[in-house]
Amino acid sequence: MAKAQKKPTTDTASDDMVVQSILDLGDRLKNNPGGQMTLTDVIGVAELLTSSLQPLLRRIDVTMQKELRGILKKIVTLRSEISKVHADDIANNRIPEMGKELSEVVKATETATNSIMNAAETVLGAQDLAEAEYKELVTNQMMDIFESCSFQDITGQRVTKVVDTVEVIEERIVVLCEMLDSHEKGMGPVLSDKEQSKKDQLLSGPSSNGVDQNAIDAMF
Amino acid sequence: MSLEANSPILVVDDYSTMVRILRNLLKQLGYENVDDAADGTEALKKIEAKKYGLVISDWNMEPMTGYDLLRHVRQRPESARTPFIMVTAESKTENVIAAKKAGVNNYIVKPFNAQTLKGKIDAVFGA
Repeated sequence: MAKAQKKPTTDTASDDMVVQSILDLGDRLKNNPGGQMTLTDVIGVAELLTSSLQPLLRRIDVTMQKELRGILKKIVTLRSEISKVHADDIANNRIPEMGKELSEVVKATETATNSIMNAAETVLGAQDLAEAEYKELVTNQMMDIFESCSFQDITGQRVTKVVDTVEVIEERIVVLCEMLDSHEKGMGPVLSDKEQSKKDQLLSGPSSNGVDQNAIDAMF
Repeated sequence: MSLEANSPILVVDDYSTMVRILRNLLKQLGYENVDDAADGTEALKKIEAKKYGLVISDWNMEPMTGYDLLRHVRQRPESARTPFIMVTAESKTENVIAAKKAGVNNYIVKPFNAQTLKGKIDAVFGA
């Protein structure tokens, strides 16, 4: 059975015709070297070139439409994802709430530290008291220290809330990053020298990857 | 060289709690003549106005860090030999090396205890 020939597309057929016509015209001009090109020839060439461009323009048109549809689809999806991020909620509620929680943690730890140090200073300053009196004072101050240590429970809860919020924000940012093209993923905010210096200082702050006191002592 | 009990000591830290802890620890070690400053700039002014027997400084402070303070202290002929101990949470090797190159006499990593502080002061003064 004869193999079915692939039917040429309209564009391919048209392209072949244009190429053939230009070749014919070229042959005619070559075979008549002394002859001049007539206005009809020029118009013919112009018509051929114009008609040859049409399939190309049609193809460009189709490609552009596809690209634009793709971009539109991406924008629609991105809009939908951005709406899921609830940026207003993050900016107006979650981040200010996180700031408040952390401020409370700072206040609580400061209060507790001062209270514990007050107790310690009171005990240290009372060494001249009579034994019974000193014993009572130490017991009372120790109780104050125990009470002050209860800050850990409350600050622990506050820090857990902050961690939860950070995780929610992180999840939403990850989704957004995945939506964007790879070249946009590496883009970070542009920081001034002062901001960069502050960021570097924060990043190089208390860390868990440093050396211990013994290793430092060895360096001295 | 030794650190007399009445030698003035300058404690530099932006956390008042840490200043208070260091003051108490130094008091327990017998040193009661203690001044404090909240950052390098304030400390430098005090060092220019008074001769200290020892400077104990944190690293992370604004606007002037403890590291910058150390370099300024070493650049001034009047304070170039003032004993300087860094007390900081900055425990990366590069930080310790940088501080040592800048002329720090000893380096304590936070958190620390009275024994560590005493050990470093003794080491600096060759006790």
